[in-house]
Amino acid sequence: MPRNEVDLTREVMEKIRAGEVKMRSRWYFVGGSAAMLVGVIAALVLAVFAVSLISFSLRTHGPMGSFRLQQILASFPWWAPILAIVGLGLGIWLLRRYDFSYKRNFSYLVAVALVAIILAGVAIDYLGLDDIWLKRGPMRQYMQQFGAGMGRGNNMGGRNGMGPGGVSGTTPR
Amino acid sequence: MEKHATATDEELVNQVRSGDKEIYAELVRRYEPKLLRYASSLLNDREIAMDAVQDTFIKAYVNLNGFNSKRRFSSWIYRILHNEAMNLLKKHHREVKFPEGFDAADPNHFEVELSRKETIKMVHKCLDKIPIKYAEPVALFYLEDKSYEEISDILRIPAGTVGVRINRAKKAMRMTCQEMK
Repeated sequence: MPRNEVDLTREVMEKIRAGEVKMRSRWYFVGGSAAMLVGVIAALVLAVFAVSLISFSLRTHGPMGSFRLQQILASFPWWAPILAIVGLGLGIWLLRRYDFSYKRNFSYLVAVALVAIILAGVAIDYLGLDDIWLKRGPMRQYMQQFGAGMGRGNNMGGRNGMGPGGVSGTTPR
Repeated sequence: MEKHATATDEELVNQVRSGDKEIYAELVRRYEPKLLRYASSLLNDREIAMDAVQDTFIKAYVNLNGFNSKRRFSSWIYRILHNEAMNLLKKHHREVKFPEGFDAADPNHFEVELSRKETIKMVHKCLDKIPIKYAEPVALFYLEDKSYEEISDILRIPAGTVGVRINRAKKAMRMTCQEMK
């Protein structure tokens, strides 16, 4: 028997009255929004971390770095750019799916995010703020191993490099 | 239900959220014909459209606490129906392509502008002959009387893209409809 429009209202309301269909609690959505926010922030932090690591890796090869391409390729942390791309992709996907970012020019938003991530990553490396990664946080162990491999780490002192006055270094902190 | 006739959708939603389940019937009554018409135009099958609309009302009720009452309830519920319809179209593998030789970007294609009335007639006749990506904004604009802003909220695309898709859809429909004559 074909259904009609009155049936549709009745069918929906009967399911609600019978308790077959229940409204999700407000906390479910508060939790979802909080998880999304944490996800986007984590994705951005990962992307910035990866860029600062790439910048550090390239810089520590010194002025003749371009002639040591094999060496750079061999020791380059390839997981870092992959992580950056995955992190950025995840952040964009979350924003597109749940946010109203479509109201703005999305390619412009992506371009701004990319420039901000690259600038933040390079700035963190050059200002030495990435030493925080060596001391605490989930990446500490990796950073210590990586830093040791590149001539930098907790037991290696801080920043090492060639300056106008010769080789410079810092004492362990 | 008479006493709810003057209340806005968003006010009704707030009352349902406060615990008065019966008021949800008023929202269902308000949106049932509109959603059914929209779903039928996209899915081309009244029974499947009714299932899609019923599922839309159930999903809307389940997620009612997730609705931001500062936004339009209308856009929100149309968005849920859009998702339902897309899932059903994927399930039934309905894919329509533009007619052979059609170039949406070519300005020489069918220069003649139709009146709104003529366009609506054409939409009724030819909507199922164009890809769903273009059929949706056209159906919302000409059959559901939604503004570009509302269509942008429902389909989650920029308002400028809504305009481009509607223009391309009109060109494609004119070409298809002419071939059908």
